Amino acid sequence: MSVTDIVFILTAIVTVGSAVVVVVSRSLIYSVFSLLFTFFGVAVLYVFLGADFLAGAQVLIYVGGILVLLLFGVMLTHRLYNLNLTTERFQPIAGTLIAAAVFASISLAAFKTKWKLVGEKELEPTTQQIGEAFLSSYLLPFEIASVLLLVALIGAAMLVRRRTDV
Amino acid sequence: MNLGNLDSLTFFYPELILLGGILLVVISDISLKGLRDRVNPLLTLAALLLALFYTLQTDHGSAMTLFEGMLALDNFALFFKAFMLVAGVLVLLGSLHSEELAAVHQGEFHALLLAVTLGMLLMANSAHLVMLYLSLELVSLTSYIMVGYLRSDRLSNEASMKYILFGAVSTGAMLYGFSLLYGMTGSLDLFAIRDALLAQEVVGFNQVTLMLVVVLTTAGFGFKTAAVPFHFWCPDVYTGAPTPVTAFLSVAPKAAGFAILVRFFLGGLSQPAGEQWGFISGIDWPLVLIVVSVLTMSLGNIAALTQNNLKRMLAYSSIAHAGYILMGAVLLTGTGLKAMLVYLFVYLFMNLGAFFVVTVIFNSEKTFELQDYNGMFRRSPFLAVAMSIFLLSLIGIPPFAGFLGKLYIFGAVIDQGLYWFAVVGALNAAVAAFYYMRIMKHMILENDDRPPTPLQISPLNRALLVLLLVPNILLIVFWSPIDRWTANSITLFGGL
Amino acid sequence: MTLQFANVLVFLGVGALFIFVNLLIASLIRPSKYSEEKLIPYECGENPVGSPWIKFNIRFYVFALIFIIFDVEVAFLLPWAVVFKELGWIAFIEGLIFIAILVVGLAYVWAKGDLQWVRPEERYE
Repeated sequence: MSVTDIVFILTAIVTVGSAVVVVVSRSLIYSVFSLLFTFFGVAVLYVFLGADFLAGAQVLIYVGGILVLLLFGVMLTHRLYNLNLTTERFQPIAGTLIAAAVFASISLAAFKTKWKLVGEKELEPTTQQIGEAFLSSYLLPFEIASVLLLVALIGAAMLVRRRTDV
Repeated sequence: MNLGNLDSLTFFYPELILLGGILLVVISDISLKGLRDRVNPLLTLAALLLALFYTLQTDHGSAMTLFEGMLALDNFALFFKAFMLVAGVLVLLGSLHSEELAAVHQGEFHALLLAVTLGMLLMANSAHLVMLYLSLELVSLTSYIMVGYLRSDRLSNEASMKYILFGAVSTGAMLYGFSLLYGMTGSLDLFAIRDALLAQEVVGFNQVTLMLVVVLTTAGFGFKTAAVPFHFWCPDVYTGAPTPVTAFLSVAPKAAGFAILVRFFLGGLSQPAGEQWGFISGIDWPLVLIVVSVLTMSLGNIAALTQNNLKRMLAYSSIAHAGYILMGAVLLTGTGLKAMLVYLFVYLFMNLGAFFVVTVIFNSEKTFELQDYNGMFRRSPFLAVAMSIFLLSLIGIPPFAGFLGKLYIFGAVIDQGLYWFAVVGALNAAVAAFYYMRIMKHMILENDDRPPTPLQISPLNRALLVLLLVPNILLIVFWSPIDRWTANSITLFGGL
Repeated sequence: MTLQFANVLVFLGVGALFIFVNLLIASLIRPSKYSEEKLIPYECGENPVGSPWIKFNIRFYVFALIFIIFDVEVAFLLPWAVVFKELGWIAFIEGLIFIAILVVGLAYVWAKGDLQWVRPEERYE
């Protein structure tokens, strides 16, 4: 087992483990902080896939932005501890069965499908390639993303505003 | 023909106009303090009409792709673009004199209406999975905001929240499906995906994976079209949203969902072969969609029977109509596709009309309950007759436009020899007649003890009602131009 | 490239070690005498009353939301900034359009007063 393998297994354990904590923890604060490790773990997994820019963006946006937003969101709630997060309709058996079926089908698909493989590829920095794609073949999605962000900005600012006449 | 970025701009005027409209409306909203309430609707209307003008003007010669293969410009896309813009104009006019929206400042509403229309235009001609996802997200995000627009109203907030949660899950499932497809074919371009699938002959476990792709992506498209079992958000969202927004959601994003569903399944997962598309060997995705279609119309109609809230009833009715429309899409024939387009076209006028009557009645009565519609005929004969025509059209009774839609759909189904499917559809139409008639019974036959005070309708609303009534009555006379237009609109771009 | 990220890994490791080693040393050498007073949160000498969790001002949330939008914008502009010089004027203008659309959004939140900590009309409520 090489160092890379060890790092990968550690990352996988941290990512999945902290994701489990997010779901089962009874304190929202613990859930949010545990999400920090999930986000970091995903960033490391991106590095293993050779997507260095994506890993950076993951840290920049998810760890730096969305986690802070979630934390503020949690601070806005009244009760933080001993939450009973299940609703009245709690169906453990059906839920487990569906989750198991989904897990089985997507992991079977991952292992048994004949994927279209590109072969061993020399990993190289991707930022420049992404920039060139944005400005040539992916120009339209690039600009439409800006419109999407504009709409999100207007919507976010509007929905939390208290007064309704401005 | 595959146009580059700069050359594509000549075919991109409608979208550019809408984008300019969004920016202008936002700027006027923050700079023209006194005039903005009058300028914004006019700006929005001008942008929509100008975009419609350029869409109808577009002469693309042969089908082609724009922006390095991101968009496919074909007659099919042009039909939907015109459809979305007409829906946008009608909803804008319907929202002007709505008491629900009058309670809040409407500057953002107009910008959002333009943004959602822009998203739907892009949805109608996406030929690339990135573009498809991005435009779908633009439409979804804008819809969430529009649903929660009455932010002091708890129902509106709850509806928006539910919509976001369901939307996030189903688009997540859809993206997972896309990622599986990308892994199998190594491409995000719909036509390249199809060619790759045809070249490698899907065998072995890949068939199962492709089936998984079909199920997962159906979750995304089913969410947009409110098809069972992805419809759970629909009744609550339609009830909570401001009525003009509900009317819009029940027509335009639904149609956009059908547009990408057809483009994805017929463009990406099928073999083109003239009149009839053949599905790629080994996966029987039409069967999945037939099951979805049967479930959708049956559940929608049965659930609508017991509703007493007009908006909720019309929500279930629009779920049922999604089932009928899907019937046309699953046949894999030109006639089926044409029937779907005809149905969508008449559905636009009859459904918007029914919702618009609900808006008008809410303006003076402040209620959506069926009980309160009693004696409407004595209070405003015009309104009761208009509603009756829209409802009869929704049932599909001749001589109203809805009959044309049902005729084409059932005709196309029988053409393919799927008699049981047509019988299920006909049974559903019979069930649907029951609850539509129930509304009419309350409006016309039942009277309450109150003296029949005349109902006030603003001149603009009256004019718009007439505008919506005309196609419902006259389409049956002018069916041959529609027949030609839709027959012409089924040409799907099939790649180079 | 993976090797370059080994540097990041080493940094992370050293950072984590720095914290835990210091805590470990501190726990080894400090005297441990606990009393009830020491376990009370320190609040300028007063005994704290009630829960330390208070409801945050909603404006924190608004700012975080707006921040994320521009955070994503930066993530989009970074690849553009790397390459626009080589690709010439058109690429530069394409990036400007992207920014211009979002500047309208910034103007919107600014003009509507969403960027003010205390919105003027709320101050005297």
